[in-house]
Amino acid sequence: MAFRSPIRRRRDGSYTVDLGPNERELLVSMCDQMRDLLTSGDPSLVRLFPTPYGDDTERNEGYAALVVPELTERRLAALETVRSTAQATQLTAEELSAWMRSVNDVRLVLGTILDVDESGTTPSGDQDDADRYATYEYLGMLLELIVRAMAK
Amino acid sequence: MEVREPETGIESDLDRPWVVIVWNDPINLMSYVTLVLQQLFGYSKEKATQLMMQVHQEGRAVVSGGTRSEAERDVFRLHEHGLWATMQQD
Repeated sequence: MAFRSPIRRRRDGSYTVDLGPNERELLVSMCDQMRDLLTSGDPSLVRLFPTPYGDDTERNEGYAALVVPELTERRLAALETVRSTAQATQLTAEELSAWMRSVNDVRLVLGTILDVDESGTTPSGDQDDADRYATYEYLGMLLELIVRAMAK
Repeated sequence: MEVREPETGIESDLDRPWVVIVWNDPINLMSYVTLVLQQLFGYSKEKATQLMMQVHQEGRAVVSGGTRSEAERDVFRLHEHGLWATMQQD
């Protein structure tokens, strides 16, 4: 029997999402934690807000002052969309795009905390790290399914 | 006959195009980077895959370019999607 992805494009351009209650619960909890983290200035957010102008401190500061608040707003809006559609079995392309960006954002934060490198290092640390790594791996799989469903 | 002053350093500086660069990182999935490049720039799957592979293998690739404001818009959208993008004058 062929593998049937839990995330599939429908003929009308929307998407079917077959996830279990535990997975949906994880998404909700992920959104709540991420929302709090986003406005905290935590160093684990570094990958979400890169400095665009190399060594040009002045222009990077301008970007941080003018653009980063807007980037943060976009991220909060995407999280809100995921939060409000976490139980849905059918998503619009726009809603699934919000899922995709939010899942990727959380992966970036977890990967930064875990200091993931090219070899995909498995953390040898404590239980918190093991839990983070399990979530990181799960979100990687979910993201891959979303990308495959959306890719043309 | 009008003689143009040679001291157009500022103007020519403004005219120089900007390029947008995506840098390799160990976290983003290759399939995700490819899809984002397709969605943001309308690139074919082949073109987007080629750019993604260049980022992966060479550490960076120029993904778009234009005026400063065009480059800023592209950088913003790439950052919105979690890609590590910078811009510089060509």
